[in-house]
Amino acid sequence: MPDAVAEVPAVASAPALSLRGLSKRFGSTVAVAGVDLDIPAGSFYGVVGPNGAGKTTTLSMATGLLTPDSGTVHVHGIDLWRHPAQAKPMLGVLPDGLHTFDRLTGAELISYAGLLRGMDPAVVRERRDDLLAALDLDASSRTLVTDFSAGMKKKIVLACALVHAPRVLVLDEPFEAVDPVSAGAIRRILAAFVETGGTVVMSSHVMALVERLCDRVAIVGRGRVLAHGTLDEVRGGMDLEERFVALVGDKAEHRDLEWLRQARE
Amino acid sequence: MLRTVLRLRLTTTWHQLQRDWWRVLFLLGGAVWSLSLVPAVLWAARILGYNDAQTKAEALAVVAGVLLLGWIIVPLLVTGLDDTLDPSRFASLGIEPGRLAPSLGVATLLTVPGLFFAFVLIGLATSWRTEHPKPWPLLAGIVGAILTWLAMVFAARIAAAWGARVLGSRRSREAALLVSLVVLAIAVPAVWVIVRDGLELVLEYDLRVLMRQLDVTPVGAGMSAPRHLVEGDAWGTVWRLGMMLAWVAVLARAWRATVAHALVNPVYRGGGARTRDDSILALAQRRGDARPHRAVRARLVRYWFSDPRYLSNLVGVIVMPIAVVALLVPVLGLDARWTFVAPVLLAATIGWGRHNDVAYDSTALWVDVTAGRLGTAVMRGRMEAVLVWAVPAVAVLAVAALAWTRAWWLAPALVGACVGVLGSTLGVSAITAVVFPYRAPAPGESPFGAEVGSVGASLIAQLMSSLATAAVLPLSVVPLVLALALDPRWGWVSAIVGTVSGIGVYLLGVRAGGVVYDRRSGSLVGLVA
Repeated sequence: MPDAVAEVPAVASAPALSLRGLSKRFGSTVAVAGVDLDIPAGSFYGVVGPNGAGKTTTLSMATGLLTPDSGTVHVHGIDLWRHPAQAKPMLGVLPDGLHTFDRLTGAELISYAGLLRGMDPAVVRERRDDLLAALDLDASSRTLVTDFSAGMKKKIVLACALVHAPRVLVLDEPFEAVDPVSAGAIRRILAAFVETGGTVVMSSHVMALVERLCDRVAIVGRGRVLAHGTLDEVRGGMDLEERFVALVGDKAEHRDLEWLRQARE
Repeated sequence: MLRTVLRLRLTTTWHQLQRDWWRVLFLLGGAVWSLSLVPAVLWAARILGYNDAQTKAEALAVVAGVLLLGWIIVPLLVTGLDDTLDPSRFASLGIEPGRLAPSLGVATLLTVPGLFFAFVLIGLATSWRTEHPKPWPLLAGIVGAILTWLAMVFAARIAAAWGARVLGSRRSREAALLVSLVVLAIAVPAVWVIVRDGLELVLEYDLRVLMRQLDVTPVGAGMSAPRHLVEGDAWGTVWRLGMMLAWVAVLARAWRATVAHALVNPVYRGGGARTRDDSILALAQRRGDARPHRAVRARLVRYWFSDPRYLSNLVGVIVMPIAVVALLVPVLGLDARWTFVAPVLLAATIGWGRHNDVAYDSTALWVDVTAGRLGTAVMRGRMEAVLVWAVPAVAVLAVAALAWTRAWWLAPALVGACVGVLGSTLGVSAITAVVFPYRAPAPGESPFGAEVGSVGASLIAQLMSSLATAAVLPLSVVPLVLALALDPRWGWVSAIVGTVSGIGVYLLGVRAGGVVYDRRSGSLVGLVA
């Protein structure tokens, strides 16, 4: 296996991740209905949308986990579904809601991810120890992942996504269940990654977090991209949450739960 | 409360049927099967009625014992079982156990199997109607049958509740070991006695003793109680029924305690004090290079010896062929050459047993899929991890069979057949595991459970892998049979054909499985999730 990062022919002008006409249907449900999105290299890109908008399905298709019904995915100009051996090494992936190999220890899971990508064992060792320290997982590196808390599992999977120094990180809800201290550490790692030219694509439900971290945003709803661009373009003078609710459509009725009101003394 | 629970049960069943139409077939099949047994039960009760009280009592006690065993074991082993009435599902509702436990208990009694077996037991008890003094034996029989039924259902519910907890916990390895030891402790003396005395004498004598014991324990006392009334010992009947009543009361208390415990103690899978060094990296460092298939193999070897789902598979696959041959050969007095079946059967069950290998990764296989185009490395690593324990297991059993029969001249034939069978079945499984994967228990789930909804897919996958296995097996097995039955010179044919076909099909299967893995990598996660 070649060392992934070095040998890939870089297409300098191409976006880090380019989705064209992606669609996916499960039975009679259309999960994703033609998503076009260009994610420029070096951007910190936020993907927001209500539950069931198709965020996870889109990110799965963009990372090789789910075959699209139609459409293409290019990573730095290379067709992911045609040339997975060249495209996948450029990606670091953190999926949401999937199991991990939880009978391995934290340290072993990182090593496994590195060795699987053909990295030199000595390099794996060095980076594994760096990642464990950076993500504050030192103390539990020898514990089985099955005994980890939800937040620790997120962190160890993030470490696996980072170990091969990818060019593009695709993270599905990376801050869910992570405590504020660890979240700070993750934010710093991601910010430094973007600063040096890396690309992060992140989905989230938390608008404040997206506004704070991302320079570009896409709002996804009912399987389509409803708005995309720089943070200010998308916000258009409102705050992101207002804009989001305006685009996605508020609930038709705000029913008042009168019976829930407590009697005042 | 009871009405709510019953309505919940009916509603969930109805919704399930709407979602998975094939469940209707199972339901109909079960109904037809149950109904078809009605005449048989009535007929059995009639036949029993012609027999004397002792025969009747012993037969009924044995029936009660077998049913009890079935009620306890089947829910633990059967896949895709409905757990709507699992007490821990009600935990978040904040209902007092004192109100919930009786409702759940009664709801279980009123399920289709519950009612059917009530009919079976009471139906069989009507065979006492021919006895004098009328009508007391019949009455005692029906009361005993009802008590036996209650005890059976409650015992089964308690066993299922605790069994599921243990199987789902990290202690399952220890629990499985304990159960295996108990089974061994019963099976070994039993086989030894059968070998020593012969099957007929055992049936005639030891089984009788066992049946007599059932009569004084809560297992069979309810069904055999009327016998003592018929024989003029009214007190014998009274105390047996009293004991049954007390036993049901104890079980009802235990059920209540179980519900109360389940409500406030969610299954805890922790206990993570165990720590390990990074053996995955250590292995790669010793070799000095990184080959992805070695990482996959190292991971799978860890799983084979630590994950309950793999462990139960490993133990089952090894114990089954050995047990079958070790029991059948002496009991049926077969020719010693039949012991050669054991290693070959072991190789076949190991190989065929891996037909759904990939699905045991569950959705965690995203790690392998996103790492690149690694299908061949993944399948190679997976299958080599099986070889790590399968080759020694088959080899030990083959040597044992040769040593037992002292037919060392048949060694080439047997080795050839074993290599052929193991290699070709694993090769077939490497392909079916990626072509027909179906949902397996997820990490941390009970190793015996299959997720609701996978029965249809699993039937197709098992059928296809069985057909493919049946197609490749004769190549390795026929020469061995000829060597055993006709002429030892066939042994050399077996050695060559078996080795070549085994290694060939294995390598081809792994390669083809890897190619299919890459091609289907975008649908695998969805298929096993």
